[in-house]
Formats: sequence, structure tokens, C-alpha cells
Amino acid sequence: MTTTEQTQSFNTTVKRGLRRFLRGLANLKLAIILLLAIAFFSISGTVLEQGQTVEFYQSNYPEHPALFGFLTWKVILALGLDHVYRTWWFLSLLVLFGSSLTACTFTRQLPTLKAARLWKYYSKPQQIEKLALSAELDTGSISSLTPLLEKRNYRVFNEGDKLYARKGIMGRIGPIVVHIGILVILAGAIWGALTGFLAQEVVPSGQTFQVQHILDSGPFASSQVPQDWSVKVNRFWIDYTSDGNIDQFYSDLSVIDEQGEERDRKTIHVNEPLRYDGVTFYQTNWGISAVKIQLNNSPIFRLPMAELETGTSTKFWGTWVPLKPDLSQGVSLLARDLQGTVLLYDGQGQPVGAVREGSSMKFGEIELKIVELVGSTGLQIKADPGVPIVYAGFALLMVGVVMSYVSHSQIWALQQGDNFYLGGKTNRAHLAFEKEIIATIDELRESKRQTPDSEQSLVLN
Amino acid sequence: MDLVTLQNTLDNGAFAILFLAMLVYWGGMAFPKIPYLQAIGTTSMAIANLAIAALLGARWLEAGYFPLSNLYESLFFLTWGITAIHFIAEQRTGSRLVGIFTAPLAMGITAFAALSLPPEMRESAPLVPALKSNWLMMHVSVMMLSYATLMVGSLLAIAFLLVTRGKNIQLQGSSLGNGGYRLKTPTPPDSTPSNSPLSSVNASSTTATAVLTPPQTTPTLSPQRLTVAETLDNISYRIIGLGFPLLTIGIIAGAVWANEAWGSYWSWDPKETWALITWLVFAAYLHARITRGWQGRKPAILAATGFVVVWICYLGVNLLGKGLHSYGWFF
Repeated sequence: MTTTEQTQSFNTTVKRGLRRFLRGLANLKLAIILLLAIAFFSISGTVLEQGQTVEFYQSNYPEHPALFGFLTWKVILALGLDHVYRTWWFLSLLVLFGSSLTACTFTRQLPTLKAARLWKYYSKPQQIEKLALSAELDTGSISSLTPLLEKRNYRVFNEGDKLYARKGIMGRIGPIVVHIGILVILAGAIWGALTGFLAQEVVPSGQTFQVQHILDSGPFASSQVPQDWSVKVNRFWIDYTSDGNIDQFYSDLSVIDEQGEERDRKTIHVNEPLRYDGVTFYQTNWGISAVKIQLNNSPIFRLPMAELETGTSTKFWGTWVPLKPDLSQGVSLLARDLQGTVLLYDGQGQPVGAVREGSSMKFGEIELKIVELVGSTGLQIKADPGVPIVYAGFALLMVGVVMSYVSHSQIWALQQGDNFYLGGKTNRAHLAFEKEIIATIDELRESKRQTPDSEQSLVLN
Repeated sequence: MDLVTLQNTLDNGAFAILFLAMLVYWGGMAFPKIPYLQAIGTTSMAIANLAIAALLGARWLEAGYFPLSNLYESLFFLTWGITAIHFIAEQRTGSRLVGIFTAPLAMGITAFAALSLPPEMRESAPLVPALKSNWLMMHVSVMMLSYATLMVGSLLAIAFLLVTRGKNIQLQGSSLGNGGYRLKTPTPPDSTPSNSPLSSVNASSTTATAVLTPPQTTPTLSPQRLTVAETLDNISYRIIGLGFPLLTIGIIAGAVWANEAWGSYWSWDPKETWALITWLVFAAYLHARITRGWQGRKPAILAATGFVVVWICYLGVNLLGKGLHSYGWFF
């Protein structure tokens, strides 16, 4: 007996403790502090450079003098301020935020909605007098008030001399939908982080590749990485505007299965990716992979071009062409885009001229012909199975915030003897509601002045 | 007249008219007895709104895409949004207080865009590949409208803080579920003692709304009306309440666009992060309003902070010159 009693009291203690914990978690002040804390720590990631090398932080945030007296590279690395949004403390903050949302939905929002749906008539004038927007009129009746409220889209209930009207209960459901939407987004993000992957490939025009350079993948992502099909870059090209700026870059891609058959084909560009089997190929970057040249009547050589370190945002690609069999003399080729012009420099680094694709230049006995510049496409490859969940969350969130704009308005009326009591309240649009109530009262007075109601005059007499 | 001269006329004209509107609203604050000032102010704001709409329309025709490609255009779009929201706020409140704050804001932005920006930054530039998408219109225009709305809403919160400074304000119009009850010590709006320069405005706007007050035939019980402070508080709350869904939809449109174009709906790019920070600050404001014991000035201080945060999100981040959103701005 005593053991069962003890377990029972233990159970109630646990339940009480749990309830207190939940209520604490659902506390609004905690929610506000969490919102502002997430905002505050997010700021740090926009002010401090993210994802740089240790050397970068060492040179920019030295120990002497320390920025603001404390912000050294050691502090930054110790707190993880070089990758704020992936630190354990930022993620815990998000988890706490999600728990607070869940707790709030169950301990506050749902009871409030239930209370809003469980309305009751007011049967004493004192109940109506408590409302700020209330009035005692010598005119008006339940029957004359009903059409006025229905005209204003109220749902009217009445019973004898009592009336209750409401509209905008949607405004009580909205915040719940918002909270669920945010939770669904967080769940989708977690699911995506566990099962998705991100890869990048730089592929010369004309080559076939399989996804290999995976930059980031979740613990359960291996099944997402395509094994039984590859992608061929049929062609890569850039359209330029008349003043030489890039208009758009394109990759003509084919999906090839193990039998070498084409399964899908699409020309992608920025804002227009290829999707196949849950994997998406985005056009993100470009480069020059090789130049095709011919010396006199030689076969066409394909020389790889390397990107040169310029230290600026201007990009150059270069290679070297020997002009003698013993490699004692040659020219350097430089190109900065795929518009077809190649710059030539001699052994001393002096410019010797520019050659367009298809034309040639003579160096003594040897004629160097630039046949073609071969571009390479920079693709970002990604699979994120969490996206449909996140999108569903987005939809809920958008619907929810719009619903939350609606104000939940309630009106009570009571006929007692020759007095008519009318009052109401709302939770958001106090100003609009005040106008609505005043206008309704005016209309009630107006209708009396114009067509004296027989029932009314009877009561007044 | 070609489109370029038309644009120059329109942007300088918009600035001049907004300057006039500001003077008229401020004059109305100093001399509330002068008639027609309110009407002149409202009309000026309307003309400025239409002039900016025409300016943006001309640029749309000229460039062939939605005119939100550079700082100049986005500043004018923002001003257009602010003047549009100004009307909603003024209509709803029936108070000339709104213009005292929105007119100088709109004037300041147009002055910067029309007079301070170097000419080469005013020309419409071709869009970079990343921006060539229908999502540009969806995402950027909704974001700009939300900035405009939130700016007006938080300005009104600042106005509320000015009107109620030094007072322990008790608000009837709180959004707490149990709000809307009669206060124990009712304070009639026109008996509020105040020596602030805004007191004349208080009086003027109460007389403006007093027209709506029904003849008090029943002295026993009549509706307890909102005071000027409560009116400002509620209109600020409703405007922010309108800007918040816009901001949410704008951020989501951006996230969906980013996912469709680059394969990532969220990448903690500084602009994205600041949009989230703005969202969090206003979410905190909306929650502070329903927190017991926090009604009145505390949420308004949060909303006023939001004004600064919106500006950092809109312009400050671009000064960093990092990330995907740095196109066509200062760098």
C-alpha cells in the first residue's frame, strides 16, 4: 500500500514538475528573450567574417591590441564565432526556441482558442458595463441590432433578450498555424541536414562526369548520391551583352544511364537548374579549361589552361606553347573570357599581340593558330530531401501570419426592461472596432428617429 | 519630352512636394487653428505618391524590367510605399500626427536619392544574370513594401513614445486576450495635462475625431473612447501587424527563389540574416504586446528599435558589400 501511495505521490510530483517546466518553457518573457537572443547572436555572424582560415583571424584579430579590448582570434575560435550558425550554442538556442514554441502552443494557444469558442451570453448589465466600449441606450433591440451586425459580417447568436455576436475567430487560429509552420520548417531543416548532400564539379565542355566532389553531406545521405547515372556536358557557353558584360551562361546537360543512353536533357543557366532523381544541378560558376591550337600543319593540340592568381576580382587563365622542339622558345597565352580573344606574351613577358579564335600569328617559321577556347562549367549539385517539408512549413507560416492580422471581435447585448445594453471588445483592431461600435450605436439611434419602432415605443411607454 | 527628362522632373518634383508636405504638417502642429492645412498636407502626399509611381513607370518602360535594380530605384519604391502606407494610417486615425513623422522620412529619402546620389548611380543598369528571374519582382517588391510598412509602423511607435514620455501609461487597447475592459479611473482624452509641444496636436486631433462622438443622450453609460496615445499605439500596432506578414512572405519568396536558383533556401548571407533579425525583433514586439505587465511603452521601445534594424537591413548590410545582395548598390 505504502509503496503504491509513494509511487502515486511520486507520479503527481513528476507531473506537477513537468507541468511547471512546460509552463516555464511557454513563458512569454522567455520567448521574447529567445527571439532577441537569436537576433543578437545572428548579428555577430554578419559582423565577423565567417568560415575563414585560422591565419585570416590571426592577422585581422591580433592579441595586441585586442579589438574592443577582448576580441582576439583566440576568443573568436574558442567561441566558434568563425562559424556562429553551426556552433553548439546557437543550435541549442534554436532547439530551445522550438521547444518553447511547442510548449506555448499546447499550454497557451490551444486553451485560448478553446476559451474563444466557448462563449456565453451576458445576462447582467454589470457584465456589459465592465467593457470599455459599452453603452446603455433608450433605443434599439435585439431584433434591430441583429441585421446591423450581420451586415458587418458578424455571426450572431441570440436567445430571448440576450445576444452574442462574433467575427474573426480566424485571428485566434492564425498564431497557432504560425507556430506549427515554424516547427515544420525547423523539422524540415533538420531532416535535410541529415539526409542531404552538397557537391561542386568543374567540368570542361564535352566531358561526362559523376558526382564526386562532395563538400558536405549528412550522416544518412549516401543513398542520395547518384551511383547508376552520370551527366554529360554537351556544351558550355556564355552570352555577352554588346558592351562585353556577361549576359548569361549556359550548360547543355544530358543525363546518361549505365547503358550509355540519354535519359534527360536540358540547357541550364542561372535561375534554371536541371533536376533528376532528387538531385539538382545549378549553374553557379565558369572557367576556361583548355585552348586548342595548331602549329603549322600539326595535329590540333589541346593545352589545359590554369587560372592565374591575380589578387583582384579580374580573372585570367593562361598556358604556355613551345615554339621549338627542345622547348627553348615559346609564347604564353592569356585569356580573360570566352569571347574568343587570346593575348600572347613572349619569353621576356612582353606583349606580342592578340589573336582571335580561328586566326593565327607567325613566329619566324612557325605559324600558331588558335583553334578554339574550351570553357568549363561550374556546377553546384545538391540533394535536399527536407525541402518539401520546409516548403510545407513556409506555406503554413504564410497563411498563419496573414490569418493573424484578423482581429477577433465579440459583441454582447442585453435587453432589460426599457434599457438596452450593448458592449464589445476585440483583441487587435481596437481603433477600427471602436468606429464599428460607435457607428452601430449611431445607426440604432438613427433607425429610431426615422421609423419609430412600435415595439420600442411600447417598451418606452 | 523624352523619358529621361521626364524622370528628372518627376524625381525633383517629388522631393519638392514632399518638402512642402513636411512644412505643412509641421505648420499644422504649430498652428492648429489654420484651416485646410490637413487637406493640403494630404494632397501633397498624394501628388508625391503619384509622381513617384509615374517615375517608376517611366523607368519600367525605358529599361523593360521591373524598376528595382539599383539603389536609386529602390529608394523611390520605398518612398512610394511609405506615402501609400501614410494614407492608410492617416485614414484610419483621422489624425494629422501621422504626417508629422512620415512626411520628413519620405522627404529625406527622396532628397538623398534625387540630390545626393551621383548621376551614374541613377541610370538603370542591365540586370546581372542572377537577378534575371520573375522572382525578382515577387521577392524584392514585397520586401520593399514590408520595409516601408514597418518603417511607418515603428515611426508611429516613436510618436507614441514622444506623446507619452514621462507618463506611466495604462493602455486600454492592449492586444492581451483580456483587454478591452473599462479602466477604473477613466481619463478623458482632452483632460490630459501636458506642456509638450505636441499637446496642441493632441487637442486638434481629438476635436477632429470628436465629430464622430454621438450626442450623449444617455449619461448613464457611454463608450470609453481611445485616447490619442492609445490611438497612436493601436495604429502603430496594426501597421506593424500589416508589415510583419509582408516581411514573412518576402523572406519566404527570397528563400524559395534562392532554392530554385542556387539550391539553398537559407545560407546565412548577411542580408538574409538581417532580414531574419528584423523579423525576430518585430516578432518580439508582437509578443511583448501580449505579455502581462509589459503593455505601453516597453513594446513601443522594441518597435522603435525596429526602425533602426529595418534601416540596417535595407542599407547597412550593403555597405558591407558582401554576399548575394550587393549588386548594383554602392559597389
